[in-house]
Amino acid sequence: MIEDKKESESYVGKSIRAKEARAPLIGKAKYTNDYTFSGQLYAHILRSPHAAAKINSVDVSGAKKVSGVHLAICGQDVFNHTNGITDHLNPAIFGGKSTRLPCMAVDEAWCYGQPVAIVVAEDERTARYAASRIQVDYTPLEPIIDVEKAVAKGARSVVPGWEDNTLIYVPFMNGDTQAAFDAASHVITTDVKIHRFSSQPMETRCYNAIWEHDTESITLYGTCQNPHPLRLVIAETLRMNENKIRIIASTIGGAFGLKMHGHPEEPLICLMAKLLGRPVKWVESREECLLIGAREQQHKVEMAFDSDGVMVGLRDNVLANIGAPSACPGWGMVFLTGLTMPGPYKVENIDVHMNAVTTNKPSWNAARGYGKESTAIALELAMDNAARQLGISPIDLRLKNFIAKDSFPYNSPTGLVYDSGDYSGVLLKALETIDYQGWKDKQAAALIEGRYLGIGVAFELTPEGGTIPGTMVAGYDSSTVRVGPDGTVRVLTGITSPGTHNATAMAQIAADELGVDIAKIEVLQGDTNASPYGFGNYSGRSTIVGGGSVALAAQDVRAKINAVAAALLEVEPDTLNLVSGVFSSSAKSDATLTFAEVCYASYTRAYDVAMCIDPPLEATRTFKPPGIRHTPDENGRINPYPSYSNAVYVVVCEVDTDTGKIDLLSLAAAHDCGKVINPILVEGQVCGAFAMGLGGALSEDIQYDANGVQLTKSFKDYVMLRMADIPPIGVAHHDCPNPDNYLGLKGAGEAGVGGSAAALVNAVNDALEPLGVLMHEMPLTPSRVWSAIQNANNGEGVN
Amino acid sequence: MEDLLDTSALIQLRVDGEFHELDVLAGRTLLDVLRDDIGKKGTHLGCKTGHCGACTVMIDGKVAKSCITMAATLARAEITTIEGLLDEKGGLHPIQQSFWDEAGLQCGYCAPGIVLSALELVTDNHHPSAEDIELALAGSLCRCTGYQSIKRSVAEACVRMYPANENIN
Repeated sequence: MIEDKKESESYVGKSIRAKEARAPLIGKAKYTNDYTFSGQLYAHILRSPHAAAKINSVDVSGAKKVSGVHLAICGQDVFNHTNGITDHLNPAIFGGKSTRLPCMAVDEAWCYGQPVAIVVAEDERTARYAASRIQVDYTPLEPIIDVEKAVAKGARSVVPGWEDNTLIYVPFMNGDTQAAFDAASHVITTDVKIHRFSSQPMETRCYNAIWEHDTESITLYGTCQNPHPLRLVIAETLRMNENKIRIIASTIGGAFGLKMHGHPEEPLICLMAKLLGRPVKWVESREECLLIGAREQQHKVEMAFDSDGVMVGLRDNVLANIGAPSACPGWGMVFLTGLTMPGPYKVENIDVHMNAVTTNKPSWNAARGYGKESTAIALELAMDNAARQLGISPIDLRLKNFIAKDSFPYNSPTGLVYDSGDYSGVLLKALETIDYQGWKDKQAAALIEGRYLGIGVAFELTPEGGTIPGTMVAGYDSSTVRVGPDGTVRVLTGITSPGTHNATAMAQIAADELGVDIAKIEVLQGDTNASPYGFGNYSGRSTIVGGGSVALAAQDVRAKINAVAAALLEVEPDTLNLVSGVFSSSAKSDATLTFAEVCYASYTRAYDVAMCIDPPLEATRTFKPPGIRHTPDENGRINPYPSYSNAVYVVVCEVDTDTGKIDLLSLAAAHDCGKVINPILVEGQVCGAFAMGLGGALSEDIQYDANGVQLTKSFKDYVMLRMADIPPIGVAHHDCPNPDNYLGLKGAGEAGVGGSAAALVNAVNDALEPLGVLMHEMPLTPSRVWSAIQNANNGEGVN
Repeated sequence: MEDLLDTSALIQLRVDGEFHELDVLAGRTLLDVLRDDIGKKGTHLGCKTGHCGACTVMIDGKVAKSCITMAATLARAEITTIEGLLDEKGGLHPIQQSFWDEAGLQCGYCAPGIVLSALELVTDNHHPSAEDIELALAGSLCRCTGYQSIKRSVAEACVRMYPANENIN
């Protein structure tokens, strides 16, 4: 239940109802597609039906003959008007390959679904029909779809001119791994296959670009997590000045990384508006949204243990099928998967090789977890496998190998510096939350009846708030706090909300720091002409850096207000009390002033009682988390994260051995996100990520045929979980505040997809262990599980 | 010039209490008409295949997916969208208030469809079981909440709408 709060109490730590949740409930939230402007035109994009093909010619004359069409142009024409799309994260900075990324295919299409031509018309239906009248002459090439084929010797290069298809190879090595493996008592190898699943927010992407004739500039209403960095991309791609671009990220209907920029449609739709001098809107179809991939990778995890079950070495070799080149930051997930090894485990000797491989599949974009979820999946499946092979309980093996609570700050073998944590405590809390022993007993009883219950546990370490030097992925952010002459507050912040209600968290923090009623606070996000320069939403950063900067700015403004209040009351500032909007002083018992009266005086009496301050009542401050270190250490390593949230997920399931169907029986998570600003909102993040990870492990799968043609085109094929699929989730907090961040914040939004997916796979393997089934390939569809059961026991299957 | 010609039909809709007479082309959906002709932007496009439920409205008191309902098939119909639930003074319907209080939405894109589906359920069934709620909301996908807070919101709405429930629970 939401708590009511009197003005004098603090808001932080309470389940304050999200102000921004009212508008969607009455149908009045303004999502990007809800904006329509005078003279509005609509775009439809014609896409390549081939995964790889030479484009011999594009004839748009048929489209131009359709009544209501304003523009129909091909990739070459767009090329002439634009530069390559600026990379969100340029792989060349990290020693990888780079190429010019056109808004549309020019001579060659390099994946199914790549834009080839675009039509702009009076309405969507006309644009779609006209696009069907465009004639494209292709010569199909043999597509490179499989990652093994892409890395094979002599493979055709997906990008002409590249000597091979590896976009980037990154090794993470430390210690003497060979010696550790040579001396080990046990080496357990686990081959983990993670499939292609993406975040699929309920709102697809939408861009509505307006050419502003008066200022010769562009206003883009867009589903965008990072408005300021996108502004630079649009400017560079369209050869305009950055100050001629305004991005407005309105209410966002979910993002989870998919709305991080680099998409070709972003500059493309802006170009259409510029060429036509009219507003142009494009709405992504679900089929188009399903082109966007993530996480398709295979791991070969080798863990070396001594005779006591202590991990002494870790190897992994990862091949990731990242699809065609893209300006989106999806490829960087592969880098992060390696950087986050070996997760929560204390092992110095590591030898991890990450290969991000280009193919003729559509490209990735960022997805919740940003590669760190894949670390969790690979490590946690391997830990359970090791526990089984070593004859140790998976709980004990983890407890034996966790980094100890008193070892923080902890220097990881990849150069990360984990700020704080109590990993054993989090695990035990999760087990208590689900009643682990109770389920163990039920499992044993069920097995006697011939029913297969399983309990799976997985840990996820989620570095949050990341920043990469030399890129527009920044570690800091800025906010403005402005108190008006009537005592009401406007907060402007560089962080954006993908639908998490982080504006309410900002308001809670501002209300506490200013000492005002939260109802007096309005928060604005996502407008580059209004907000301070900011980097938006990614990497679980919003409340860490947004909240920190709001707090600093609010403290500055509060100091000004206090100074004026003290001057008005003729007392010292440190004698002031502010209770329920009324200032009083311990030095003067009878005199009081309202907060609003003090604010009014601050604006209007600048030459007498407010001489002591610089008006207006406004401050802009930046929070730069001190934990980040970009200066390389003696090994050349940096610590790009200020914060290391962590969590344990537990899944209890029952497997129907006749059908292979998995039923979820009980779920629990214990989470360390530092100080919880708003419990009901954090619980929402935990539960949402849990469902997303379970969906990924069970049924979400974007499939292509052997020619690289997309098979998964709707939610009929891409099966996300529905309400009945998910039993109640027990959520517990076990917080070790980050010693470096405001209020000890660690971030709550990114964690969960990997931990929950891994816990599910571990639960199924636990359930089917009596049958000798062991699966490390996702998703665990009924057919895959049923086949594994049939093939178990040396092909004997179940009796 | 090639003109796109299509047959059209005259339909009469009462949408959230307001009467509209519209000439609609054969290919247009109820969602198109609600959003583009009547300005009911609270009804959302999520998939265009009827799977996600973001477009859910009530047609003559029963929930339906407006993205796969051809407008021309509705010669006369009473439509309720999420925008029609407020009371005369602009106050929230108890079910809207429950979703707000219990954080039954995050990004809110699915919320209009989910609230209407829940309303249809609790109007007929004052004491829905967990299974009843799951069945009633099976047509809607939510990507943010993991559904926990949605279940709680529906249960809370029943308590508020039918105070006698408190004794039963």
